Amino acid sequence: MADAEAAGASEIETLFDDVDTDTARLQRYEVDRRTPRAAIRADTIAHVEDVQTQAMSQDLAVVPVGGRTMLDLGMPPNRYDLALDLTGLNRVVEYEPDDFTITVEAGMTLADLQRLLAVNGQFLPLDHPRFERATLGGICAVGRGGLRRNSFGGPRDWLIGMRMVKADGTPVKGGGRVVKNVSGYDLPKLFAGSLGTLGIIVELTFKLRPHPASDQIVALNAPSFEAALGAAHAAAQAAPFLNGCVVLSPDAAADARGLGAKILHDQPSLLLRANGLESAASEVLSQALAAVRQSGLDGPERTTSAIVETWQAVADLELQTDNRHVRLRVGLPPGNLGNAQQILSQQLPEASSWIAAADSGLMFLEIPSIDAETIDRLRRQLGPLQARLTVETAPTELKETINVWGPAGPGARLMHNIKREFDPQSLLNPGRYVDGI
Amino acid sequence: MKTPTPMVQDLIDAIGEQAVVWHDDDLLVYEYDGTIDRGNPDVIALPANTDDVVNLIKIANRYDAPVTPRGAGTGLSGGALAVKGGVIIGMNRMRNILHVDPENKTALVQPGVVNLDLGAEAERHGLAYAPDPSSQRACTIGGNVAENAGGPHTLAWGTTTNHVLALELVTADGEVQWIGHETRDEPGYDLVGCVVGSEGTVGIVTQVLVRLVPRPTAVRTMLAVYDSVRQASNAVSAVVASGIVPAALEMIDKMTIAAVEPVLNTGFPLDAEAVLLVEVDGPESQVEAEGARVEGILNRFEPREVRSATDPEEREHLWAGRKGAIGALGQIMPNYYLLDGVVPRTKLPDVLDGVYEIAERYRLPVANMFHAGDGNLHPCLLFDELEPGATERVLDAGGEIMRLCVDAGGAITGEHGVGLEKRDYLPWIFTEADMDTMKSLRAAFGPTENFNPCKIFPKGHGCGEAGHQHAQHQIAKFGPKAFV
Repeated sequence: MADAEAAGASEIETLFDDVDTDTARLQRYEVDRRTPRAAIRADTIAHVEDVQTQAMSQDLAVVPVGGRTMLDLGMPPNRYDLALDLTGLNRVVEYEPDDFTITVEAGMTLADLQRLLAVNGQFLPLDHPRFERATLGGICAVGRGGLRRNSFGGPRDWLIGMRMVKADGTPVKGGGRVVKNVSGYDLPKLFAGSLGTLGIIVELTFKLRPHPASDQIVALNAPSFEAALGAAHAAAQAAPFLNGCVVLSPDAAADARGLGAKILHDQPSLLLRANGLESAASEVLSQALAAVRQSGLDGPERTTSAIVETWQAVADLELQTDNRHVRLRVGLPPGNLGNAQQILSQQLPEASSWIAAADSGLMFLEIPSIDAETIDRLRRQLGPLQARLTVETAPTELKETINVWGPAGPGARLMHNIKREFDPQSLLNPGRYVDGI
Repeated sequence: MKTPTPMVQDLIDAIGEQAVVWHDDDLLVYEYDGTIDRGNPDVIALPANTDDVVNLIKIANRYDAPVTPRGAGTGLSGGALAVKGGVIIGMNRMRNILHVDPENKTALVQPGVVNLDLGAEAERHGLAYAPDPSSQRACTIGGNVAENAGGPHTLAWGTTTNHVLALELVTADGEVQWIGHETRDEPGYDLVGCVVGSEGTVGIVTQVLVRLVPRPTAVRTMLAVYDSVRQASNAVSAVVASGIVPAALEMIDKMTIAAVEPVLNTGFPLDAEAVLLVEVDGPESQVEAEGARVEGILNRFEPREVRSATDPEEREHLWAGRKGAIGALGQIMPNYYLLDGVVPRTKLPDVLDGVYEIAERYRLPVANMFHAGDGNLHPCLLFDELEPGATERVLDAGGEIMRLCVDAGGAITGEHGVGLEKRDYLPWIFTEADMDTMKSLRAAFGPTENFNPCKIFPKGHGCGEAGHQHAQHQIAKFGPKAFV
């Protein structure tokens, strides 16, 4: 086996000028205990084109890699020859602040982008865990909205243009640099959330938002997680313009505090966020708090000026689970959160770390372990609540026995057709996405 | 007496005589949409439900007949024209709002529901449906989905694609499937994002689950009258740059004022060069503070007057001139050609100057009414199609205006779609490889070659190449490569 791998590596070395086959360094690109035969760090789009042209002609399976914050998401790859590291693609391509749009290369981190935009009082409204490391290409490839998706939507809603390199090395683009555009099919939407299975995302154009004049956050303790969830639901209904509305279990609150959310206690907690002009943010928060009080929560309100740090700490919890444990993500209509939480807590009594975004219909929970049968049962029970359960993090041996994405919906036929059109040899992230894509 | 062809007979057998239109006189109505192009369908079929749509598509496929989906026929890019004849499937009978879920802020509707009717139903639940194209009194949700329709209020809320969660789709091979999910958590590719804006070229949408948004507690509409378009567009740039995101930011110019004033009595001074409409909404205190700031900005650019209203009736009056603008253009000339270019917002003043220069050079009156906050221009070239050579001049000027937008870093269409009308210009912004990639997405939806043929992509067999000589001439004149 070792000999075969060594032979593979040297064969790859002859194909590319700048390939890294150092076993120790390749560990960083490991996906579910699969280590690539080689890695290449691309620093230009032309470089990515060359790599893909070679990879296609040599039938090499490629995993595009960004900040490696969610590299384990999805099924284990069924082949993995080459890690294509895109973090060298981190330049600003075009930024005219008064247009409220920016074009950047895909390897730029979300944090770098936000720093750049902050100078002009602007930001990209996406919550993403570990934003110091997570790249925009990776965030768009994963393509999911975060804890504030009710207010902000997801990457798809802010992307207005994209350049990609197809599996065969052809550079293509979709969209443009204007905020409203229906010229041609919306390829950026197709690629956002495609988990790197259709092409390599190399450049992104986003529309932007101005920083709100005021941003406010309030935390409250609750007697139980269920009580906090009920109060949060009431708040979200009473104050639909809330920017964020998150509930944490004591363990989750404690972890978030460890990550910088000093405002939280080791208690079931409710965290509300509002922004806009100062008077408006206050108005929204007081509407929400009135509903919280009416639902029976009577603890003191705490506030902080460390709003970004607090929120980011909570968002970061999503990636705090190491892959010896299991983290589940449940997305559902907000009105069904209470019922879903009941089912989950009955079936998973060991779950201790819970986070729920009450306005966005999103819940994360951590458990020591789970088996395939339980996951199937949960999916059946949650089905009538219109809930979708994804296994976000899990030990590799478990992932090999389960379907982390859940059964493919009725759109599976179209998805397979699209995959065949875009990556006929199935070389990009093979086997990692829905229904074996 | 005309006898039905075997295909028409099959269609009649499938959905009933009342639901099939095939006599020549009756077909006339379906030859038009909102553009100056025409198409001649062989037959119109009006399904009552999803099963009907499946049957109709299968019958058309059996006869190898092109299928063209159609909503209210208000489209502005020729998307609903049966260019190669065949069957038009008109969705107007499927017009029920099936369910509204106020708690989760969604509504399930059939594609024939009129945009404004959905808005009214949402309002009964204290909610709103954000996309509001100017044709909202007539246009349908199915058509909005096909075109990814926008409207004045998409500045803050985004266009149709940001408000559709899931769809029931009948693909070109007659398969029915739901795509997307209420929570956007359906694992897999964003098929909804692919179908919205695909201009009816990959299938027919038979149900739509839309997202509703909370209604703002307060709204303030401001109207400012300027003595030059430059001043008005500088005011637009200043509002956008101020960090306020207005709910809407619209402009109309002198020619538009001349058209609307006699009909709608909006009280606009006829000698003013431009009128800006700015709307802010949200919580009461926000509207008050932002309204004051916007008014301050508008006043910096020396307006002749600024009016402001918060009461619904007065606001409606301020909006009347904008919303009724297109309809009023007939006052000036019998025909209009409406463009839809979009440019980066900082380029707006220069591009507007260019639009007036081009119109003057082609001796065409031009009326501008548009979504200034989005950089989405709608120059309306006015003409009389009976005047020899007028239509050609309009098409030439239109091509030149589109090119101006493309050269400014923009695109050829912001919300009306490429359709039949602008397909020859697509290579100005996309390479062959880009377009091939789009076509491969289309191919994934099945045998789509005959499904709304001759739309979006240039060329295509039997698509009336002769009629597109003008576009070819434009492309040759400016060179094929632009902002690709």
